[in-house]
Parts: sequence; structure tokens; C-alpha cells
Amino acid sequence: MKASMSHSFAIINSVMRKHFFIRGLLTAIALLFSLSACDSGNSTLLSAKSVIYCSEGSPASFNPQTITSGTSIDATANQLYDQLISFSAEDDELKPALAKSWHVTRDGKMITFYLRKGVKFHQTSYFTPTRDFKADDVVFSFNRILNPDHEYHAIAGVRFPFFDSVNFNSLVKEVEKINEYTVRFKLNRPDSSFLSNLASDYSVIISQEYGEKLSKENKHENIDLLPIGTGPFKLKEYRAGSFIRYYTHDNYWRDKPAIEQLVFDITPIDTGRLTKLLAGECDVVAYPIAHNKIAEHPLLTLDTVTSLNVGYLGFNTEKPPFNNKLVRKAIAYAIDRDAIIEAIYAGQADLAKSLLPKSSWAFSEETQEQVHSIETAKILLSEAGYPDGFDMNIWAMPVQRAYNPDALTMAKLIQADLKKVGIQVKIEGGYEWEVFLNLVRQGNHESVLLGWSADHPDPDNFLTPILSCESAGKGSNNTRWCHKEFDSLLQQALRTNSINQRKIYYAKALTIIAEEVPLLPIAHSKRYQARSNKVTGKLLNAFGGINFREVGKN
Amino acid sequence: MARNSIYQEETFPSPLIRLWHSFRETKVVMIGFSCFLFLFFLAVFAPILTPYSSVENNLDYLLLPPAWDVNGDVSFLLGTDNLGRDMLSRLMHGTSLTFGLSFVVVITSLVIGVIIGSLSALTKGIKSSFLNHFLDVILSIPSLLLAIIIVAILGPGLGNTLWAIILVLIPQFVHITRNAVKEEFTKDYVLASRLDGANSLRILSYSIFPNIIEKLISQATLAQSAAILDIAALGFLGLGAPIPLPEWGAMLSNGLGLFYTAPWTVYLPGLAILFSVVATNLVGEGMRHALKQSKES
Amino acid sequence: MLNFTIRRLYLLFFTMFLLTLVSFSLSFLFPGEQLVNISGKVNATPAQLVLLAEQYHHHEGFFTQYWIYLQHIFDGEFGVSMASHLPISTEIINLLPATMELSLTALFIAMIIGIPVGFIAAIRHKKLTDNVILTIAMLGYSIPVFWLGLLAILVFSIQLNWLPSAGQISLLYEIKHVTGMQFIDILLSDSEYKWQAFQNATSHLILPACVIALAPGTLFIRLARTAMMEVLEKGYIRAAKSKGLTFNQIIYRHAIRNALINVIRHVGLQFANLITIAMVTEVIFSWPGIGRWLIESIYQRDYTAIQAGLLVLSSSIFFVHILTDFIYAALNPLARDSKHGA
Repeated sequence: MKASMSHSFAIINSVMRKHFFIRGLLTAIALLFSLSACDSGNSTLLSAKSVIYCSEGSPASFNPQTITSGTSIDATANQLYDQLISFSAEDDELKPALAKSWHVTRDGKMITFYLRKGVKFHQTSYFTPTRDFKADDVVFSFNRILNPDHEYHAIAGVRFPFFDSVNFNSLVKEVEKINEYTVRFKLNRPDSSFLSNLASDYSVIISQEYGEKLSKENKHENIDLLPIGTGPFKLKEYRAGSFIRYYTHDNYWRDKPAIEQLVFDITPIDTGRLTKLLAGECDVVAYPIAHNKIAEHPLLTLDTVTSLNVGYLGFNTEKPPFNNKLVRKAIAYAIDRDAIIEAIYAGQADLAKSLLPKSSWAFSEETQEQVHSIETAKILLSEAGYPDGFDMNIWAMPVQRAYNPDALTMAKLIQADLKKVGIQVKIEGGYEWEVFLNLVRQGNHESVLLGWSADHPDPDNFLTPILSCESAGKGSNNTRWCHKEFDSLLQQALRTNSINQRKIYYAKALTIIAEEVPLLPIAHSKRYQARSNKVTGKLLNAFGGINFREVGKN
Repeated sequence: MARNSIYQEETFPSPLIRLWHSFRETKVVMIGFSCFLFLFFLAVFAPILTPYSSVENNLDYLLLPPAWDVNGDVSFLLGTDNLGRDMLSRLMHGTSLTFGLSFVVVITSLVIGVIIGSLSALTKGIKSSFLNHFLDVILSIPSLLLAIIIVAILGPGLGNTLWAIILVLIPQFVHITRNAVKEEFTKDYVLASRLDGANSLRILSYSIFPNIIEKLISQATLAQSAAILDIAALGFLGLGAPIPLPEWGAMLSNGLGLFYTAPWTVYLPGLAILFSVVATNLVGEGMRHALKQSKES
Repeated sequence: MLNFTIRRLYLLFFTMFLLTLVSFSLSFLFPGEQLVNISGKVNATPAQLVLLAEQYHHHEGFFTQYWIYLQHIFDGEFGVSMASHLPISTEIINLLPATMELSLTALFIAMIIGIPVGFIAAIRHKKLTDNVILTIAMLGYSIPVFWLGLLAILVFSIQLNWLPSAGQISLLYEIKHVTGMQFIDILLSDSEYKWQAFQNATSHLILPACVIALAPGTLFIRLARTAMMEVLEKGYIRAAKSKGLTFNQIIYRHAIRNALINVIRHVGLQFANLITIAMVTEVIFSWPGIGRWLIESIYQRDYTAIQAGLLVLSSSIFFVHILTDFIYAALNPLARDSKHGA
């Protein structure tokens, strides 16, 4: 019995082995043929109609109202949404967008917007609009921020950091619907940066009808997770940490984008992004490295844009010894910023003379520039009571941004600098970007390497979010510094429309920053982007997030 | 012709000496062995020999290519990395870390494994079968996975990485010692010793060990090449040596960000790892070859 | 055969017991609160913690808790990932097939290339071919896999532009996730770009599979070589020669079959080695598999994920090991049971 069983096994073995190859091969070939027959006559390559953008991180939310990180803005703002007004790329002037025109009263306290007709919202698998954009949507979008009783004001612990940082709630008294296509903003006081703020990437218009639908289904948080807007692209699919898939919005009120599909391939490692670009797996790449290689490569282009930004080392002024001005000044003297520009920015950035870059109209030549002097640093430290130095930590951001392409290496350089005056530095911050930002916002750091990219050309956008009292601990003021005189200078500058008057106020404010050193500005850099020559269209602006509206593919 | 001894004696070289003789015969193996010794020497004396410090930044000389390149500088023979640190010094220091520590790891796990293995070879019955199965299970978990888990438990850092790899390698030595000792126990000379009245411990140390030592050394070289690769892999994944230390795997991972502008920061550590693993494997091959030959003769 | 099966089942049972025990103890060994480690709810409020304590019978003895843990596993409940807050079972179901696709392809390549080359080396024993093959095998075996992966990307993706460097398939193709194995999913999907997707998926699979296959391939070369050399010395080969069979006939009809059997038994052990290599390769090639997920979990200190991942991965390896043992035993009656007489 056993013998015959093993015998048959042997036969099966030999048959299988002899013909296995041939049979397997035939099956494989048959399978391949069936596949190629399955392709419908559509012979255009899918890649010819799509663009893949390799981005550096996942968005925290799909609604720019609730975020500040540049990564999230890049992923969402200009792709999914429109604002009432926008900046023209050429001359920094305000241009109509969802509002055809607007009128500002003489006292600056009432602004009326006349809205565009025939603008359609996205139609997706999760929402079909039954009506066009109208005034109700504007009121809905802004009341969400202004009105604490608004249904969507406090869902899922959401906050509106940009609007907090410009004191939006105390500024705007009311948003009123005048008729189906007219909206009026009533302000409590005149504010010369108000229109600029409305044109920023954060002031997007969301769909009230969608809000009602979600409210009925009791799924409020989807307004930020499954977005609906009027922008050139609509959301098809999102896998956190992996990719975002956008389809073109067929009924976009401007010219439809020239492609059918836009994919954000989320690749946090910069070498990974470059590899994908060189291997043809990405068409456009964020924050590229190895600029020389890209510029030399025949199939690739390196785009640059002079960005309004600043990279800085911020001190947590609530934690000793950083509440002591002398200590902050000492550290500022000890750091060799020229070396950092050489090492980190490869010389391709401007040393920050003050918080504002030269290209801002509020830049002042009078601001005292920080010099590098180890001796002065040591003297100041002794004066402050730390002749032998102390221990501190630097939180280095884990992602690349235009204002700081490599915070970790920068932290190491600063670590070496500070060692010379006896300060021992521990480098922290190995978290995911949004986690990092949250922890810094909560004040876990002693000092942090961060920066700021302007949302619009108004200088208030640089100063209020980063250093105002309002913004301390809630918004982007990670130094938690609150200086009454500084704040009042900023507010006075907002109340007047005279550029010259504002310049005077801002010059004084910058001097205060230079004296108190709540942060040490390091560099203003350009923003770079690498793309394949097949991709056309202007994507980057001096401020704000990336915009794929005009992208095309050869 | 002068003779030192009048009597023509037959010398019976000990197993180790026999091993050495057949070892010497293959040229390739001898080359491997000398490379191995070279690495060992480097590992011990690197801190004294390095031309520059391997951890201090040298901001004037960032990203210098190796000396044979047009832009290179002879004073930095193998170039510098993105913080200006000399590659040659880092590689040399890395020898102590990757290669030297792998040696330490192997010796430690060898000793511990042999002790446990011999003790378990003396047990019989259920305990023995349980241990056997337990070993099988541990041996079936991928070594890197196990090391990673241990590092996750203990936390990152060089010391913990070493303990992780030691713990991963011990089962291999236990397994091989156990099988070898059990096999030897069935042989006649052990029986003879027992009849003479020797207890188990004595038999183990005097009779059995000299005979299984070749197998142990052969397994040790296998373990060492695995240890080098594992230490480098953990360093590459960022779970090993802390940042400024120039462990080869960590250097490779650091060089990743510079792959396009400074490819030598990736090539050189990789070559170093390859070189040391090949040297270890050559020694191991020679050992096994010699073992086979002595069995056949 | 029955005895063999019973012994193997007993081994499987014992191994699973040990593996689950180890994975369960990890929740105690990892830093942090044991309940949080085992369930993954990092932001649990005190009320939720009480609920969890009930669910996992926190106040009772070690083995009771272990038993409850086993029950959870059988229900498919592995807890929630601390990092992504998604249930781990979903993640594993998505990721494990991708790893299996990659590893099995790599195993296949390693065997298809390694075994014949090993046979050739054995046949040409002590000649130049043999030495060349052995040298190449040694080099292949000594190369650190992460370096090899980087070099492969440099040469094949960047300089030659032949093959892509990351991912399982280009993001442009929307292939619905059914099994997680890209090729099966492509066949089952209704996309209009099936053929393009298939080509794309193949090009994504080749490079990482080959990189993984190198080290096990060289091991197969040596195993096949040793097996063939042993077979060639056996009595029945000499008998065949003296019967007058030609060289080809000897090799193809007798030697290969018997040598192959000896190699197959090692496949199970090789698989564990291969999975280790696959984990690192997945990181380099951004392959969406369980290896890369595990390594990221280590970075993010996602202890629940590490626990579950270890259990699932080791179980899969052991499962494949047992499977190959069965195949080997089916092919070779001598292996079935040597102790209890037939």
C-alpha cells in the first residue's frame, strides 16, 4: 500500500517537474494576452494626462481655515478652494476672485463685496451640489470663525490659528448678507491689512449646503476631512501619509486645468523625492536638494522664486534662563550665522538683517544688525549669572521648508557654536511634523528652529502672527513673548492706511525685536522647486502655497 | 646534520594546530585572514591613528570629494562629509564600532551560548525537548526583527543595540553547542573517561571542548559576519549608535541625504562593510574547508 | 504520514503558544502603561481606561489576561495603532499581502537562478566555473542589502531610467484593493488601463525582488552545490554510469530530482532570513508592506503595532516553514518519520 503510494508520488513528481515549466509558461503567456485584450481602445498613456507632485508631508486637515503649516496649505488651499479676492502674481495687487468687485467706505469700517454668479461647487462621490455659489456660503464660511455658537465653530477641537493671530474675531463685528450676491463686512476698527488677510490662502469659501447635509447626517468633522470647495480640483481619494488624489473640477469657473488628475505623492525624505524625480516617478518636487545636479540635468528644470520668508531661532521666553534678555542676546552673539548660510543654504540665501526681508516695503535700514562675537557672548553670559554656561535644548523641525532646508544640521552647527561659550545643547524634535508643531505650540521647547513664509505681502503678516501677544501660545508665536509697546506699535500701524506712517511704526517695532531678541532671525531664502521639462505653468508665488491651476503636461 | 632530539618522535599536533596548517594552505583564505587581522588592528588602535577627529565639525572643508578627484584635497584623503568631517578618520573610527563591537558581541554570545548549550546538553527528557522547541521558535524569528524588538524594549543607544544582537546570536551558539556536545557524548572516548570516574564537568572541559572548538569557531565567523551586517543595519535604520558616532551603517544613512552631491559618503561606508564581511567570510570559509579536510584525512 | 502530520501540528501548536506568549509579554516589557500598549489607545481618558481594564481583565492574573488576549486575537482584534489610530487588523490585512507578494517573488527568483547555478558549480567541481561561481556567491552573500538597494536604484532607476525606485505601482492607476497582491488586484479590477497597470506593477516589482533575492540566492547556490555534490558521490549514480547512461541522462533523470529534494528542505529556514532582508528592502524601496510598517512603528514607538506585527510576521514565516516541511515530506518518504517504524 505504502509502496504504491510513494510510487505514484514519484510519478506525479516527475511529471510535474518535467512539464511544470512548460505548463507554467503557457499559463503565464495566456494570462498576459488576456490582459492586453482587456485594455479598452484607450491608448493614451495615463501619465500624459496627469501630474504627480512629490510633497514633503501630509496635510493636517483639508480646510485651510484650521491650519497654518505650509505643507497643509500647499496641499489644499489653491487646489480645492477660492477666496473672495486674490493677489495678482505680477504686482502684488488685489484682484477679484469669487468677488467681482468690492467697495470700502471712507472710514475703512465697512466693506461690501459683489459676488460672481455661476460659480459651481465640487461634485464628488460624497456630495452633489444643487445650487451655485452665493452669499450664504460666504456668511457661512466666516461666521464659522466669528460666531462661537456656529455649528462648525468648535467641532473636533478645531481652531483657527491664522485668524487668531490677526485678531480677526475682535476686528470683525459682523458679516451680513445683503442679497443673494452681495455681502458686507462690518469692522470694529479700520485695519489696513484686512483685505490682504481676506486674500490669503486661509480665507477660503466653503459650501453651506454641504454643511447642512453633514449636519443632518451628524458627521460634522467631514467638513474638514472630506472637503468641498469651488477650486480647480476636487478630492477623489486620500491615504494619510501616502498620497492625495485630485480630479479636475469639470465646472470650474475659470479655465479648467489642462490635466485630468493631480496626485500628491507624500515623500518626507528629500533624497527620496529627488530619486523619484530623476527616475521619472514624480513630475514636480517640493523642496529639492542638489540644486546643481538639477540645473545641469537636460530633462529637468529648477524653478526659483524670491520668497518672503525668514528662518529663525526662537527662544521660549517663558522658560528660564530665556526669560533673561542678556542670555538671549549672548546666544545671539555666539552663533555664527554666516557659517550657517554657507553650510545649510549653500550660500543661496540672504543673511537676515532683521525679521523682515529686504523685499518687504517695511524693511528698515536703521535696524541694528546682530554681529557674531564670542567674547561679547561670554561677557553677557557672565553678566546674566551663567559664567560657566548651562544646558539647553534646541528643537529642530523635522521637515524641509523654504526658510530652512535642514534644521537638524543647523542645530548641530549651533550646538558646536554654543559649546564655545560653555552652553551644552541637546537636539530634540524627532516627531512627525504636525505633532512637532503641536508640541512647540504647547511650549515644550526651550528654543526652536522654525520660520515663517509670508501669506501675503503686507508686513503685518510677518510680525503679528510670529510675535504679537494675541498669538503667544495660541498661534504661531512660539517665543511666547508679549511686549506691550511692540504690540501697540503693530496695532497703530494697522489703523492707518498711510504707507509712510506704517513704515515708521514698523521700523520702531523692528528695533524692539533687535534689542529684546525674542528670536534670532537667521536667513531669508528662496523657495525652490524642481520639475520635469514636460510640466508647464507657473506654480510658485513669492508668498502663499503652491498653485496647480495653470499646470499643463506635454 | 644537527638534530635536536635523538628519538624520532611522532608528533600529534593538537586539533587547533592541525586546523592552522590546513588553513594556511589556501592563499585566498590567508589574504582574508590578513585583512581580518588588519581590521582588528584598526579597530583597536583607530582612536590613536586617525588623522583628524571623527566627530568634530570642520566647517571650512564641507563636502570635499576624495583626493583623486579634481576638486579633492590630499590632506583629506577620502573626502569630507556635509559637516566637514574627514571620511578616512570616520571610517577608521567606524572600524572600532562596527567591526570591533561585532567581535565583542560574538565572543560574548559565544561564551554565554556555549555555557547554556552544554548545560542543556546534560539535561534530558521534557526539559530538553522544551528547550529544543523554544530554540526552534527563536531561530525562526528573523534576526533583525528580534534585534529591533529588543531595541524597542530597551530603547535606542549603542549599548542596547549590542545587547540586542548578543541576545539574538546566543540561540545559534546554544543550538550548535548542544548538538555537538550531544553528538560527542555518544562517542567512545567519553565513555572511557566516564568509566575512569570523571564527572560531567570534567568531561566537558577536558575531553569534549577541544573537539568541538573547530565547529564553534566556524559558527563564530558566521555569527560575526551576521553581527557586522546587523549592527550596520540597525545603524542604518537609526536604531543603533547615537548621531555623531561614525558607525558605518549610520554613516551610510547620513550620506543618503547627500547621495547626489557627494556620492562618496554612500559608497565608502558600504565598501567598508563589504570589505569586513568578505574578510570574515573568507576566514570562515577557510576554517570550514580545513575542518572538512581534517575530517576526510 | 499521519504520525508526521501529528508531530508537525504539535510543533505548530507549541510554536504559536510561545509566539503569542512572547508577543503578549511585550506589552509588559515595553515602556509605558501596559493597557495602553496592548490596546493602542494613547489618548484614553480615565473612563476609557477603566473600560479597557475590564476588556482585558487587567486586575486578574497573568495567565487569565493571556487567555483574554488570545480570545481577542482569534476575534481578529489586535488593538489600534498608536500612530494612525486605525485598527491594526485593517493595516495588517492591507500590508501583509504586499510583503508576501514581494517575498515570494524574491524566493522564486532566488530558487530559479540559485539552484541551477549551484548544480552547475557542483558538476564542474574544482574547475574554474566552480571557483568563479563560489566567489560571486560569497560576494553576493557579504553585501549589505541596504547598500545594494541604493546602488541598484542608482544604476537602474537613475542612470539607466529602466525601472522605478519606489512603491508598488504608480499612483496614477487606481486599482481597487481586493487582496493586496497587486497582480491579482489588477486582474480583478475594471480599470481601463489594465495592461499599462500590469506593466507598471511588474516594473515596480523587479528591482526590489532581485535585490532581496541576491543573498538567499547565493545561499541556494551553495546548498544546491553541496546537495548535488553529495548526490553525485552516491552509489546509484555510479551504477547509472556503469550502466552506460549518458551524462545528460544521469543528471536530468536521477541527480536533479534527488538533489532538489535536499535543497527544498532548507527553503523553510531560508524564508526567515529572506523576510529579514525584505524588511530593510521595503524601507529603501518604499514598498507598502508589513516590514516597512513595522520599522516605522519602531521609530514612532507604536508598541501595539510592534506587538501585532511581530506576531503576524513570525506566524507567517512559521506557517511557510511548516508548509515546506510538508512538501518536503510529501516528496521524500524518508523524511517522514524516522523514529517510529512504518
